[in-house]
Amino acid sequence: MGRFAIRRLAGMVAVLFAVSVLVFLIFNVIPNADPAKQLAGRAADPQLIASITEEWGFDDPLPQQYLTMMGNIFSGEVVSYETEENVDERIVEGIPATFSLCIGAAVLWMFFGILFGYLSAVRAGGKLDRALTVVAVTGISIPVFWLAAILLNYLTYQLAIFPSGGYVGLTENPLEWANHLILPWVTLAIVYVGFYSRVLRSNMLDAMDEDYVRTARAKGLSERRVMTRHVLRNSLVPIVTLFGLDFGALLGGAILVEGIFNLNGIGQYAYESLLNLELPPIMAIVLFGAFFVVLFNTLVDIAYAYLDPRVKLGSSAQ
Amino acid sequence: MARKPHGESAAASAGPWRLALRRLRRNRTALAFAALFVLIVVFSLAAPLWANGVADTSPNATHTLEKVEVDGETREVVNPEGRPVGPLWLGAGGKFFLGADGRLGRDEMVRLMYGGRTSLFVGIAAALITTLLGTAFGLLAGYYRGWVDATIARAMDVIWAFPVILLAIALGLSLAVGGLQIGPLHLSGGSIWIPILIIGVVYTPYVARPIRGEVLALREKEFVEAAVSQGAGPLRVMLGELLPNLLSTVIVFFAIGIANSMLLESILSFLGVGVQPPDTSWGTMIGGGFELITSAPLLTVIPGAMLLLTVLAVNVFADGLRDALDPKAKLRLEAHAGIAEPEGTPV
Amino acid sequence: MSEALLAVQGLRVRFAGEDGDVQAVDGASFELAPGEVLAIVGESGSGKSVTAQAVMGLIPSRNATVEGSVRLRGRELLGAEESEMQKVRGAQIAMVFQDPMTSLNPVYRVGAQIVEAIQAHRPEVGRHEARVRTVELLDSVGIPDPAQRVDSYPHEFSGGMRQRAMIAMALALEPDVLIADEPTTALDVTIQAQILRLLERLNRERDLATIVITHDLGVVAEVANRVLVMNEGRIVERGELDEVFYAAKDPYTRKLLDAVLRLDQAPPLRERSTAAPLLEVTDLVKHYPVKRGLLSDRGVDRVRAVDGVSFNVEQGETLGLVGESGSGKTTLSRTVLQLLQPTSGSVRFEGREIAGLSRREMRPLRPQMQMIFQDPYASLNPRKRVGQIVGEPLRLQGRASGEELRRAVHELLERVGLAPEHYGRYPHEFSGGQRQRIGIARALALRPKLIVADEPVSALDVSIRAQILALLAELQQDFGLTYVFVAHDIGVVRHVSDRIAVMHEGRIVEQGPADEVCERPSDPYTKSLLAAVPIPDPRESRARRAGTASS
Repeated sequence: MGRFAIRRLAGMVAVLFAVSVLVFLIFNVIPNADPAKQLAGRAADPQLIASITEEWGFDDPLPQQYLTMMGNIFSGEVVSYETEENVDERIVEGIPATFSLCIGAAVLWMFFGILFGYLSAVRAGGKLDRALTVVAVTGISIPVFWLAAILLNYLTYQLAIFPSGGYVGLTENPLEWANHLILPWVTLAIVYVGFYSRVLRSNMLDAMDEDYVRTARAKGLSERRVMTRHVLRNSLVPIVTLFGLDFGALLGGAILVEGIFNLNGIGQYAYESLLNLELPPIMAIVLFGAFFVVLFNTLVDIAYAYLDPRVKLGSSAQ
Repeated sequence: MARKPHGESAAASAGPWRLALRRLRRNRTALAFAALFVLIVVFSLAAPLWANGVADTSPNATHTLEKVEVDGETREVVNPEGRPVGPLWLGAGGKFFLGADGRLGRDEMVRLMYGGRTSLFVGIAAALITTLLGTAFGLLAGYYRGWVDATIARAMDVIWAFPVILLAIALGLSLAVGGLQIGPLHLSGGSIWIPILIIGVVYTPYVARPIRGEVLALREKEFVEAAVSQGAGPLRVMLGELLPNLLSTVIVFFAIGIANSMLLESILSFLGVGVQPPDTSWGTMIGGGFELITSAPLLTVIPGAMLLLTVLAVNVFADGLRDALDPKAKLRLEAHAGIAEPEGTPV
Repeated sequence: MSEALLAVQGLRVRFAGEDGDVQAVDGASFELAPGEVLAIVGESGSGKSVTAQAVMGLIPSRNATVEGSVRLRGRELLGAEESEMQKVRGAQIAMVFQDPMTSLNPVYRVGAQIVEAIQAHRPEVGRHEARVRTVELLDSVGIPDPAQRVDSYPHEFSGGMRQRAMIAMALALEPDVLIADEPTTALDVTIQAQILRLLERLNRERDLATIVITHDLGVVAEVANRVLVMNEGRIVERGELDEVFYAAKDPYTRKLLDAVLRLDQAPPLRERSTAAPLLEVTDLVKHYPVKRGLLSDRGVDRVRAVDGVSFNVEQGETLGLVGESGSGKTTLSRTVLQLLQPTSGSVRFEGREIAGLSRREMRPLRPQMQMIFQDPYASLNPRKRVGQIVGEPLRLQGRASGEELRRAVHELLERVGLAPEHYGRYPHEFSGGQRQRIGIARALALRPKLIVADEPVSALDVSIRAQILALLAELQQDFGLTYVFVAHDIGVVRHVSDRIAVMHEGRIVEQGPADEVCERPSDPYTKSLLAAVPIPDPRESRARRAGTASS
């Protein structure tokens, strides 16, 4: 088991390196424009551009540039030239809001996704199944940001049911914290609820045809026991993997939701930076975002081994 | 089962494709939504007709200081506070059918139709790129295995490591300003091909991986061995034996790809790093409408609703396609930007 | 006459399908007496499994209609409440299935799954007590080291052990009836013999009434007291074991018995050719490296699939290659034909060395050596028409095209017993036997000298097997073919081969003329293999068992 974990971690480091190289290529190499000018953004004037070129080493050979860039980002010295804020500091400030949003949404979608998927599978073909399928397919077809805007307008501005944006810390006031996050949670979760309920339904329907389910029934187990302890249990395994991939990638959706609901997290920072065409924050956020995904996925892979004993023992079985 | 094989009977032979078509035709829901999609496409393609024939304007022409005749009354297109006129329906002979789109006073209906053209074009083109690249890579990686597979898989892994939206945003931002110049390929920053390429490339691993998996399984089948034993080379095997068995998967991926690509394009355009002016897409329209969400909510609601309907139609049809092409399909790639397909055992 | 334990009367099962209804069971009636072993024999589609499922109330499809009566000790089971049936399943009637690999839930430990069965019926039994009982059960079915093994996962068991565990689970609540649906079909012959012995012992020791469902008449002869023969949903023959085997009345039963290939039936002796051997294999090795990854402590390990094999095949003869799963026979057959690259060793075809040739160099030689594959469902490309499949080799090698190609394919189809109008059909429209014919036609297309047949009849029904083997013999005569016939069933191999080579763990442990290998084996593995093969003749089977018991 330990050997498996070490192997995965070593692989992770390799991917992280490749990711950082790709970020470097995207921002400094691929574009058909002077990277210093792009970094300067709208505050560009020849003096600033010259000093940026120096600081980031754009006249150096590429590998040197790469090292400088990584050095700058990880030593916390990247500054957004327009706003003159320290990028890394603002990212750290935004962590509580972003985490609150992501974790809350995740809990919501896992609960409803699994519930709906289970009900759909158990009553497959019936009215409930068809209704839930409609809900699910609509869910995966909704543009998240549009839904956010609509909910914001009608439930917040027009009807004032929910507070109009802003983030309240959990430790400050738990009730307000939740109140401000309900709409964002729902918006972010809807798509995944649709998706997960369909995946679980499909997995469970497949599992129901498996031989070990037939054995379970032949043993005289109650239908409910067969469904939960055998069908559901085995169907949840790929869901966990999927969750790992999706949770890591939530930052993308968070950009939109935080931006629209004004939630002061990392996502909102990215949203503002995009509107102002500021490069440095985006660079850092994309890099950290990808890093988080890789890290999280590696952890999930290792956890997966606990759920599926065949994986843990790998090729030693047989 | 006590059923006799059909080999003996004189019934006309129905190939797998014809059987699939038959199954599809029985699926009323899928067909209905396919019709809806066709309707939307026709609506969008009719843009020039409406623009020239009815509204007498273009998607980017501004009418800020103009006035329009409605049932005898004269209304300002944009009132002094900057508030655009609401839907006039047929009140002015079709002009400003859905109202004006903000301070610039452009015709919302015309923009909606042209926006549809752009959104559909970007979505379909990007999906095409994704499907072609993904299938090619998946085939090569799965057939050759070894170092070819390792290289392709690593490359896919690196792209895969990025949240789709983040990667697309990064690429969109960096290419929006100066454009792209790689060897003979030269695209200006505002070219519509930039978002198409970005979306197409970003989704490629999501097709390449499952295809690779299927190829790995298929190539163990005995009919592939039979082809090799007759002297078939790699190209013959890949195109003649493997590809025909992959087509149903590929077709469904293409359909789902259209849905995903349209959604991703709208996100990028909403954030300003997708389709660039003067082009219009539903995403840019939602972005523009968002600023006026309290005073003119319809400017946000309508383009979003169109997008939702289109994506919904594609998704439902894709489902029907999947059921028709392979009733026992274990395809699990579902539609949404940023959501991945679980990849078997990770070891 | 003791009262019947299980009484089935007029059982009818009908499945509603997309293309019409199927009557899977069409009026089956029989009884099971306490302590007896009843065998239900039939080919695929006979309805034997569906009958068993109907008894347990486990018919999987929602579109099924079940009529008739099933009484356990006089109590009607058909139409009973699901909650009542749950009490019966596992506790009064237990079932063991064909494939032990997939029949156990891979994510739970074996012991836990047995404990689950116990506690489902006897909730008052505590976990510790249930566990103790489980260990006892595992011991009673012959699993070594049961106290340790109880915590193993299914994939840590071998196939035979898994089946024993399944049987242990079935016995956990001491049912009156055990239904075993093809319990040994997925197992190797030697393991099969052990499992049959186990079932027999359990029947004797516990007076356990057993229904064994199988297509294999050898298995029937080994274990059954009474026999039912099913065909197309009906019971066409019933009686005591000897009665059915020696005095069968029904024509279908007789056809089935005739088709069973017996170990002592040999082909007529062929004239041995004095020419040089067609195929010479010397010290052939095929190893697969198993990579251990970054931080291994043992370096690179190897799977020794073929570990130094040598044999010759004479022109015009049939060499039978026998081995169980994992013996390496499949890898060997592919390596000889250069479908896999040998790790080392020599393969000479007509005197010319072909081992290690590049793809391009092999291409012109390919027409001379072709293969017939095992799985009729996987060996034909489902997206191509039959005419395309059979004509492909001719097209690839540039031998024919257009009208000439068409004619050549038509001829081939007729030669293997198919009709010309099958040209435009797709594989899924044919039965297993017909698909094998298509595969044979394809292999013949290039007029090869050597054909390697990899388990060509294993996936087919018994009555079809004889037909295909007869076809192969005919073709050998007409076209002067040389065969390497690979199979796990030594009875089949004996029936067709001039010489036999026995493979075990990558090596040939014995080879020689067929009758010598089968009647006077010298290698211990060969001996155990021959001893394990079930004899589809009750008297001989009893004699053999008596002989082994006394020796």
